Amino acid sequence: MSGDVDPFEAVKLVFFQECDELLADLEGGLLALEQGTGDHETVNAVFRAVHSVKGGAGAFGLDALVRFAHVFETLLDEIRAGRKPCDDVTVRTLLRASDVLADHIAAARGQADPVEEARSAALVAELEALTYGAAAPVSAEAPGEVEDAFVPLPIAAAPLEAEADEWGFRPVAFNLASLDLPAEAPPVGESAGWRIRVRPHGRMYASANETGLLLRELSRLGDTVVSLDAENLPTLDALDPEEGYLAWTVEMGAEVSEADIRDVFDFVEADCDLTIETAGVEAPNVVEEPAEAAVPDIDIAALLARATEAAPVAAPEPVPAPVVAAVDAAAAAAVPADAQPGASVPANVPTATVMTAAAPTAAAAPATIRVDLDRVDRLINAVGELVIQQAMLAQKVGESGLTRHSGVLSGLEDLELLTREIQDSVMAIRAQPVKSVFQRMTRLVREVSDMTGKRVRLVTSGEDTEVDKTVVERLAEPITHMLRNAIDHGLESPEARLAAGKPAEGTVRLAALHRSGRIVIEIGDDGAGINRERVRAKAVDRGLIAADAVLSDEEVDNLIFAPGFSTAEAISDISGRGVGMDVVKRSIQSLGGRISITSTPGAGSTFTLSLPLTLAVLDGMVVTAAEQTLVAPLSTIVESLTPRAGDVNYIGGHDPVIRFREAFVPLIDVAYSMGFRPTPMAPETGVAVVVETESGAAAALLFDAIQGQRQVVIKSLETNYQQVDGIAAATILGDGRVALILDVDAIVAVARRRPTRIEALRSDLKLAS
Amino acid sequence: MTDQNQASIARELIAFRIGDQEFCVDIMAVREIRGWTPATPLPRAPTFMKGVINLRGAVLPIVDLGARFGLKTSEPSARHVIMVANIAGRLVGLLVDAVSDIIQLTDESVQPTPDVASEEVRTFVKGIFAIEGRMVSLIDLDHILPEVEAEAA
Repeated sequence: MSGDVDPFEAVKLVFFQECDELLADLEGGLLALEQGTGDHETVNAVFRAVHSVKGGAGAFGLDALVRFAHVFETLLDEIRAGRKPCDDVTVRTLLRASDVLADHIAAARGQADPVEEARSAALVAELEALTYGAAAPVSAEAPGEVEDAFVPLPIAAAPLEAEADEWGFRPVAFNLASLDLPAEAPPVGESAGWRIRVRPHGRMYASANETGLLLRELSRLGDTVVSLDAENLPTLDALDPEEGYLAWTVEMGAEVSEADIRDVFDFVEADCDLTIETAGVEAPNVVEEPAEAAVPDIDIAALLARATEAAPVAAPEPVPAPVVAAVDAAAAAAVPADAQPGASVPANVPTATVMTAAAPTAAAAPATIRVDLDRVDRLINAVGELVIQQAMLAQKVGESGLTRHSGVLSGLEDLELLTREIQDSVMAIRAQPVKSVFQRMTRLVREVSDMTGKRVRLVTSGEDTEVDKTVVERLAEPITHMLRNAIDHGLESPEARLAAGKPAEGTVRLAALHRSGRIVIEIGDDGAGINRERVRAKAVDRGLIAADAVLSDEEVDNLIFAPGFSTAEAISDISGRGVGMDVVKRSIQSLGGRISITSTPGAGSTFTLSLPLTLAVLDGMVVTAAEQTLVAPLSTIVESLTPRAGDVNYIGGHDPVIRFREAFVPLIDVAYSMGFRPTPMAPETGVAVVVETESGAAAALLFDAIQGQRQVVIKSLETNYQQVDGIAAATILGDGRVALILDVDAIVAVARRRPTRIEALRSDLKLAS
Repeated sequence: MTDQNQASIARELIAFRIGDQEFCVDIMAVREIRGWTPATPLPRAPTFMKGVINLRGAVLPIVDLGARFGLKTSEPSARHVIMVANIAGRLVGLLVDAVSDIIQLTDESVQPTPDVASEEVRTFVKGIFAIEGRMVSLIDLDHILPEVEAEAA
């Protein structure tokens, strides 16, 4: 709200927002690895995520986070380089490490308590054990290198390892001047490509970045030719160990985009002199230069060898790949120079072959922009008004008595189509895949399975199913609750499972799919299924049903949605704190959703949630009841019919039922039940709309007339007033007046007077309170 | 915003009429004044809830203040007025007969509600004062809406 946000805090906020995305990428990648669907690029993506978190955290001085991320990253880097296997054990450790990383981030954000040192340290130890194998402790003895005993130094264990960045740049103690270096490192032959010059400052190293990694990132984009410029390296006596003196020139092919190159330097741009230019401008020279430079007096390999001899610490460019590239380039430089003199074509003939061996660029992410949610909401509100205005206009024109074929009407129809298209597009802006919610659940499942001692495998599908952001946000809680239930109550213990002839590991399925304009979420387990006898006994015990009530299996299953119902024999930490499925059901209902359960004894239970794709608009049937205009959600309507006198019967003389498809369903006079009219209307003067409630029960709602089908913008009644029984929300119609949107389930429940029914019971409770 | 009235010395009030009685509320609570438009009735609502109207895209509940005070139930016409007030973050339309005046008042001139008034009246009437020989009741808007069932949001 306040306009004066500390700019530093604002940047930090952006960092944490990015962290959320990075964590999602991280977890997504790790899960892909776990399921064996990941490849090398997945490992890279996972590494990049952790690395980015570390980089950002370093900038904000979040030490605990940096330390943890560093150890994490080190192991990932080993895996990435193929030096460590990416087996099940490792992936599982990595997954837990990602949980702790998330906790560290939450703590840094101030949303959670600091991560317990022991937990973090235990995982650090595990990660290190995997990184260094049995030799891990040795690394800690690296002389003079350990700045922080918390993290053993990897350098000694692997001298050429790229991970020296944590400890800042330690320049190599030898004098390059004596090696008679050419004044300028030779740019080696590529014409229409990029020439990147990077001269890191000391503070770049101080903030945990390292040129070697940057060069390696570049080499992933495409073939690189790297040359070192050590011109500014002072003599030993003048050397400041904290300063950066070296510069690099990288030649790259033109097929790499400048944006990709800039991305590599994203974190460090401010801390180094960076020029990125097309090498093509200088193409003619390039042909000449190699001839001169082809036989530089430096042998980089020899130089390196001496460097590593001379100093125990690796030079800042010790990454194997680029060095090799540089050495190769130096050696190869002679070849093009020799081969080329006669070639009048100035450029890219010989080297192009090298360049076109294009490394696959990182899986091209679709171009996206970040937009403030407020702006999107403003747009959505405006479109909402547009829809209302359009409907208002259509109504006015309709009333004006224009002929059907006038240009105005067809223009209006076009306008309506356009309006709908705009609305759909705007809604699509807010649509998000449910992935973010699903990913959070994997952690939950791990934790709950740890706590319960049950072995659980979570199988998810349809993560890419998109739904409005407001719905996504509110999905997490009910799904969390139901997954906990599925593991805690649904799945049996491993012993019981084995005894029942099932695998010891239980499976929990979490699936999302689109079905007829709604999103359906299914949560299934392969556990024991609902113990109907126990549910029934408990319901009787709690006075929810009469001891002699005759209930179908489905009705028994649905008892678990009754308020205060919990079937776990022992109230555990995980679920069953007295709030049960009734809470889930209510939160789903408040989203305009439905929940149902199917259960097969011995084979498991499946909960099915059905939710609207958006909470902003609704397809409705506009009806008239006692001069009031009401809207019934189209999704609940089965069909409409005109009652004839013979179709309606009265149970016990006053409760009307109507014959519908060989069955009798209750007939509810909506205007009467809402108090809009003092006495019920005669059924045959109105229209009956058959609706289906979330529990699958059918009822017929009696209205005076049906006006038509229309998409309406949902307006909350609660904003300025309060919830009204029987009313889900309000909307504004074409004439500018407010119309109420019916809560069909509540209307049917209120009209029912059978006390054994849970719904009736609940509504009674509500009325009493 | 409940206690600011006691704190300030001189403040502005907006006076309005219901029947032959005069009332006033703190002018800071009133957002706008508009003419009567037909409201959509709410089911099973108390009689003083006239329903909801469309206020530039928002749903605005309308309270018939006369009925709320137990004076009389208005049959709203074009001559009636809706005062849009902000009550604890909610916008509520108050149906009154007419807005009559803007009054400046110091706290000392307000007399506590005499004991003769019923408990119900004292819920809404914070105090009374005289202006040009007429009695005006100072209204506390906090309890105008029906009690919201246990949702503390």
